[in-house]
Amino acid sequence: MKRKLAELVLVLFFYVLQVSMGRAVCIGGIMPNLLVILPVVFGFLNGKNEGMFAGFFAGILYDLFFSGLFGFSALVFVYIGYFAGVFYQKYEQNEMLVPLAVLVAGSFSFGFLSYVGNFLLHNRLNAMYFISRFILPEVIYTTIVFVALYKPLAYLNTKLYSKDKRRMHNFDERNI
Amino acid sequence: MKNKLSALMNSKYILIAVTVLCAAFIGTSFFTDRLVAPLRDAVSTVVMPLQKGMNYIGLWVAGKYDTLQELNSVLEENKKLQGQVDSLVEENNQLKQESYELDRLRQLYELDEKYPGYEKVAARVIGTTSTNWYSTFTVDKGSRDGIEKDMNVIAGGGLVGIITDVGLNYSIVKTIIEDNSYVSAMLIDTGDICTVEGDIELMDSGLIHLRYFKSGLEIRNGDKIVTSNISDKYLQGILIGYAKDVATDPNNLTQSGYLLPAVDFAHIQEVLIIKQKKEKLEEG
Repeated sequence: MKRKLAELVLVLFFYVLQVSMGRAVCIGGIMPNLLVILPVVFGFLNGKNEGMFAGFFAGILYDLFFSGLFGFSALVFVYIGYFAGVFYQKYEQNEMLVPLAVLVAGSFSFGFLSYVGNFLLHNRLNAMYFISRFILPEVIYTTIVFVALYKPLAYLNTKLYSKDKRRMHNFDERNI
Repeated sequence: MKNKLSALMNSKYILIAVTVLCAAFIGTSFFTDRLVAPLRDAVSTVVMPLQKGMNYIGLWVAGKYDTLQELNSVLEENKKLQGQVDSLVEENNQLKQESYELDRLRQLYELDEKYPGYEKVAARVIGTTSTNWYSTFTVDKGSRDGIEKDMNVIAGGGLVGIITDVGLNYSIVKTIIEDNSYVSAMLIDTGDICTVEGDIELMDSGLIHLRYFKSGLEIRNGDKIVTSNISDKYLQGILIGYAKDVATDPNNLTQSGYLLPAVDFAHIQEVLIIKQKKEKLEEG
């Protein structure tokens, strides 16, 4: 329970960082997508359920103030969290390449689906331009931020884990 | 009982349930945002103060950094600007005299002022979009401060955009450079109608599209484009920007080109919201 609360607070914190600092750190008009990192990390470290939990709330926040389609990012983020959870307890925690691969695949598909929903259907057919100008730079930038943030987040997670009840551990194991 | 509950908590079932929930959300968001509005208000009371705080910290840090960097160039610029100020003062005096004359003439013909000084509210930009796709932003004034949907937003003398969503303590401004933004505009001196369209593919050039001028008009670079009198939502006569490279279209019926916005969209920090709405102006 405590860990879920901590995850919520982290989601909120990342959201505020994203909308207020996004413009300050953007390179060539592209800012990293901080919120997609959380479902990947928590899905990989704590299982499918927590990945979906973090993904759902991150997506809802993402949609709440700007997106036209409320629920779209939440849906994609939940799936990203779920697929990150597939690798739960199959690799060591410090095996960073596994969640990294999930992140790259996840944020690329999120970017591409956003393009399809917002632009392709709106007669902007120049897909290569959108991929090379927006989607790929965002994926790369997000990946770099992820590499920097993974270790601290994993450390924080173990801290929260040891304090949590043993029951939670068993409970999660059933869902591998 | 415990087994039943934990069987229900299986991730696959949760995934299916959440998918259905999200699909329902997406479905309803096509028709109404009434479902989302209370949630928005609830979250915004928590998030907006945080966002404001972060924004102040960010501005402070950026400010310090800029001060150090720009001190030298500012000193040089100061000399240049001093000269400019002198010439502007002179010009200003001349313009004032002309405007007094205009006032007198207007009184003479008993004309009402065409553009009364609209009531405006200043607001601070506290957040940008969470995605790279949009150039929408959030400002720190909402329905509490009397902001309503469709109010026009200006900054630095030019049109920024229009309010599309209002919460208790925030509102969302859709800018004219956004991909699906269309503004009815006209040439300031002749009143020829055209359309200003945002386009994300022109983002790097800082320009937007200017379309549907009648053929046969001669439009030079730098001609002023303002909001038109036939627009439903935009008040008449707000400066949008300057025409650039207008040429005849292949169909020989219309002309189009580019528009250089009067507002620097990359560095907006404060905006003015005009409380007068066009539709009300027409009713009254």
